[in-house]
Amino acid sequence: MTTIQLPSPGAMPDTIEARPASDNYLTHTRGILSWIFTLDHKRIGVMYMWSVLGSFLLGGTFALLLRTELLTPGPTITESADTYNQWFTLHGAIMVFLVIIPSIPAALGNIILPIMLGAKDVAFPRLNLFSYYLWVTGAVLCVVSLAMGGFDTGWTFYTPYSTTTTAGGVIPVLTAAFVLGFSSIFTGLNFIVTVHKLRPPGMTWFRMPLFLWAIYATAIIQVLATPVLGITLLLLIVERTVNIGIFNPSMGGDPVLYQHFFWFYSHPAVYIMILPAMGIISEIIAINSHRAIFGYRLIAFSSIAIAFFSFIVWGHHMFTSGQSALMNTLFSAISFSVAIPSAVKVFNWIATLYKGSVSLTTPMWYALAFLFLFTIGGLTGLHLATLSTDVHLHDTYFVVAHFHYVMMGSALIGMIGGLHHWWPKIFGRMYDERLGTIACWIIFIGFNVTFFTQFMLGSQGMPRRYYDYQPEFQIYHVISTIGSYIMAVGFTLTAISLFGSFFNGKKAPANPWGGRSLEWQCASPPPFDNFAKAPRVGDCYDFSVVHWDPKLGGYRVDESNDPEVNPAAQGTKAAH
Amino acid sequence: MAIKTANFIDPFDSAQERGVAGVFGMWVFIAVVAMIFVACILGYVVVRFDQPPGREWMPEGTPGLPSALLLSSAVLLISSWTMQLAVRAARLGQQMQLVYAMGATLGLALLFLAVQALAWNELWTRHATIESGLYAWTFYVLTGVHALHVIGGLPPMVYVFRRSREGQYTPTDYNGVVLCAMYWHALDVIWMVLYATLWICSALT
Repeated sequence: MTTIQLPSPGAMPDTIEARPASDNYLTHTRGILSWIFTLDHKRIGVMYMWSVLGSFLLGGTFALLLRTELLTPGPTITESADTYNQWFTLHGAIMVFLVIIPSIPAALGNIILPIMLGAKDVAFPRLNLFSYYLWVTGAVLCVVSLAMGGFDTGWTFYTPYSTTTTAGGVIPVLTAAFVLGFSSIFTGLNFIVTVHKLRPPGMTWFRMPLFLWAIYATAIIQVLATPVLGITLLLLIVERTVNIGIFNPSMGGDPVLYQHFFWFYSHPAVYIMILPAMGIISEIIAINSHRAIFGYRLIAFSSIAIAFFSFIVWGHHMFTSGQSALMNTLFSAISFSVAIPSAVKVFNWIATLYKGSVSLTTPMWYALAFLFLFTIGGLTGLHLATLSTDVHLHDTYFVVAHFHYVMMGSALIGMIGGLHHWWPKIFGRMYDERLGTIACWIIFIGFNVTFFTQFMLGSQGMPRRYYDYQPEFQIYHVISTIGSYIMAVGFTLTAISLFGSFFNGKKAPANPWGGRSLEWQCASPPPFDNFAKAPRVGDCYDFSVVHWDPKLGGYRVDESNDPEVNPAAQGTKAAH
Repeated sequence: MAIKTANFIDPFDSAQERGVAGVFGMWVFIAVVAMIFVACILGYVVVRFDQPPGREWMPEGTPGLPSALLLSSAVLLISSWTMQLAVRAARLGQQMQLVYAMGATLGLALLFLAVQALAWNELWTRHATIESGLYAWTFYVLTGVHALHVIGGLPPMVYVFRRSREGQYTPTDYNGVVLCAMYWHALDVIWMVLYATLWICSALT
């Protein structure tokens, strides 16, 4: 096909050059109040992003404290096992409720989703800002809880311990999780309505970028599962304050009921964390392979299938809780079936790479890391879904390693990959690719050193959450701790490469990676209203019309040969 | 609004599109509320029928469900009817009827809460307190959570009431009334299910 030099109708250049590049959403209005009361989805997303990254730093610090404490059996840096209990509880609660759950949907999703849809904003901008302030309230309550004596219940708040522990900060942190839950619900509600009602003409469901499918499936889980957490935490607060006995067997209640309630939310919550990351990976892999995503519909449907399965597998967290053998068998069988849609995604990503012309950009390295780590995390899940092996592995470091491979190695790596993928779009600056890639490798190595060791540790019987351990386990703990330090170095380098872009980063082109979806057709950073006029929607995975343009220093979408856009040109598309 | 939000960009092209999205958003919100009560009711049923051996759900002398609940159910049903009258009046552009119907609904909502308080008082004075165990406390929690949702519905209802007094709703733009009515009917349906569950679970001894 020939490249036509004429500016194509309605394509990227005339939306970008219509306005001065200096007028973007970051510079459109000034002053702190213009941020605090902003209704712009991009600014709200950026505020979420800084808040989440700040919480990540805090949660990561607790992780390093934990690992340092475990360097030697017995006391290492704290004499008190209670302090250790508080550290791991804080690490878990911060990472789950303040970091991973809001990281992709609320931070990246807020910034990218409306632009990807070609919309001016989310459906309910005020509700969106309200969600953010609910998040802030939740974060403040976590701090209040710390000031009131902290909490040592583990992030799961299992009864009867959570109703009887003397730690003073339990009720504030329960309230925090309750409030954060509603922040998540309102974000999900907003996204569902946005995807349904603000798709531009031409973007049918099966023309949506897969990131949108993933966020949509996530939003369904957020909306249907989180209310259950809300009522559970409310009951727990009531139980702890007036002791009504609903979770207390001596008063006719049932502590296992709490576990059912809790996991009815918290298992779907696992998919709130992983599904958006899967969406990011679909985008990164397709764009950096410069090749149409393999099995588009299967990937889209597998997101919905995972969302569906997420609601009926919660019992696999409770194989040793005394639920009936029949329930155990059913939950075990259904848990295995989650492997099917997950594997469908992995195979489709690999098939996309095959014969693609892969650009090894930093986001692509993160996507490849995701493929490895998610595969390990997913396959070790099968050991835990198997009843007989789970009885041995339950509450050991094997479980810790498994969910870190999925929650951190997949969800968080996907989030960091997405951050690199959209960073030029969000801030209009390119980061140091070489440093970014090196940082990715260091994180990948550090991650495996930390957590692969924990698989071995767990399979030999080291229980999770213990302050002290037998000397025979020490070598594994030492290796694992060294790995966590390597990761800390990697994340520091990531931060340097990203923040460095503000000082010496090249100006980012509108389309640095060769994407076709709508966010790459608007300037970097986007103007305050995203699109002056509604953009035209093409096939977002047809990369045959995306060409490198040395003058722009980025890619350019030239649709003039696309018969769908220009009826005069015929048949050139079919050649691809 | 007190604070000028200079950078507000309406994502919708027309008030009609915004209205359609609002109704859809309310359906999603009703799903959220419904999930809260599904969890509540299921939890209640499990605890009710999963009592440890030798433990009575309602030991001798436990008071039955307060009779005031019959009255409050009737009040809530009527308020749903007046709410629907308000929607009809708004659609037909009958400003006075809209104001009356909204006012009546608001009054009935407050009356419902008052009768619920009577029901609580009735049970409490007949010593359905902490000693009588889960029977009383699940009752307080379930009706309490529902009452909280009713209270949560009051500010939007007052807002719609005031706007209808100002004559802000026209036959082409009365979305606020519709959203209010959707939420109100949902709470009504939820209450009926809740009451039926409580009634059945207390009758089966």
